[in-house]
Amino acid sequence: MSNRSDVLRLAGDELRCCIQCGSCSASCSTADLMDESIRELVRLVLNDRCEEALKSRSIWLCTSCLLCTVRCPRGIRPKSLVAALRHINEAQGGRNPDQSLEDLFMGQVRETGRVSEFYLSALYALYNPTAAVQIMTMGLELVQKGKIDCEKSRISGIEELSRVFEGLEES
Amino acid sequence: MKLAYYPGCVAKSTGIEYDISTRSVCKALGIELEEIEDWNCCGATHCSNELLAVGLSARNMARAKDPIMTSCSICYSNLRIAALRLEDKHLRERVNSLLDSPYKGADVRHVLEVIMEAMDEGSVVVPLNGLKVAPYYGCLLTRPSLGLDSPENPQILERFIALLGGKAVAHPCRTLCCGGPIFMSQEEAASRSAFQILRAAKSAGAEAVVTACPLCHLMLDAMQRSIESRYKEEIGLPVLYVTQLAGIALGLGPEELALDKNSVSPLALVDGINASVNI
Repeated sequence: MSNRSDVLRLAGDELRCCIQCGSCSASCSTADLMDESIRELVRLVLNDRCEEALKSRSIWLCTSCLLCTVRCPRGIRPKSLVAALRHINEAQGGRNPDQSLEDLFMGQVRETGRVSEFYLSALYALYNPTAAVQIMTMGLELVQKGKIDCEKSRISGIEELSRVFEGLEES
Repeated sequence: MKLAYYPGCVAKSTGIEYDISTRSVCKALGIELEEIEDWNCCGATHCSNELLAVGLSARNMARAKDPIMTSCSICYSNLRIAALRLEDKHLRERVNSLLDSPYKGADVRHVLEVIMEAMDEGSVVVPLNGLKVAPYYGCLLTRPSLGLDSPENPQILERFIALLGGKAVAHPCRTLCCGGPIFMSQEEAASRSAFQILRAAKSAGAEAVVTACPLCHLMLDAMQRSIESRYKEEIGLPVLYVTQLAGIALGLGPEELALDKNSVSPLALVDGINASVNI
């Protein structure tokens, strides 16, 4: 179970300064698709209703565009709140198509140091068959254009990178 | 001028034309690029552990011997955020204790500003002949604040288009997110944004769109056909990288700019521009 202080530690203590003005939600390009707006996510966390925030579909609709962060009059970084909720979701073993994209992406970075779009989309399609058709349709054209690199290589500084992962992971 | 080049992961695959045209344009402008040796992924928008994201960029910046230039707006934003956060002495010490060579500060530049500064009056040999170009900023070229231009009302692309002899058309979706980061998991939401942008550019009379980010490019160019069929509307708008547009005006050829790699072919447009010079 996570509580308010866990989220604040990850998202930044300035979250407590929120005045609920809604500039974040008004700036959000996917706000109309969200069940809880970004402003409401902040309120849920501050009212110690983190489990509701963690279950919200909204955390997966954030595109990381940072417009809310640019506009917040209180210097809050709502993207950091979304990142914190995604991170806790992952730590609690939450599994859904959106989480699997994050896991596959960062798993590749950890393993090889870089991301291969070919392996990322192939694996994602494997785990999420409903998305496969669309990914394959576009992928096929990009393969024909010679824009898909199937080579899987590993950077030589992988040990150093592992240290970075391990040293910054527990926070 | 010598710069440390950070290409980012897509430079080898879906963004290959950005990498090829970046190298060609920099060469033509006398900018020497040395690729950062053994660079790693910056985590893009998929690293929900923000401290780890800082660490990933710190390793890249610590390996650079010269000011850093990147072409990807996501990498650019991540490198800038990391440099800002690493001003915190405690965080810097913690990160440096994990790195082979320590991070000691970095100057991070985007290819757009680098080429604009390197160009002079004589650089444009093939002016774009008033080509109507829709500037598309996307998000992370200007966000967070304190980067190369205002995040609310940026003007650098308008100046860039004018510098090359084109005409920037005004449209309301210049800074609307393309939806790229969620296009695999939330395809409908992402396609909707990309469609809005393309339609706004087309209605404004644009003959092409210019962009500075490989993910924006993927959404607007590679996805354009699928968007056309989803929304049953023909668009047919070539989407060029800033380096491809600059390269055309610098007189570079289609191969040097990898123009054949774009999904919506810009070759007819380029032929038109070249013909206008020869008259």
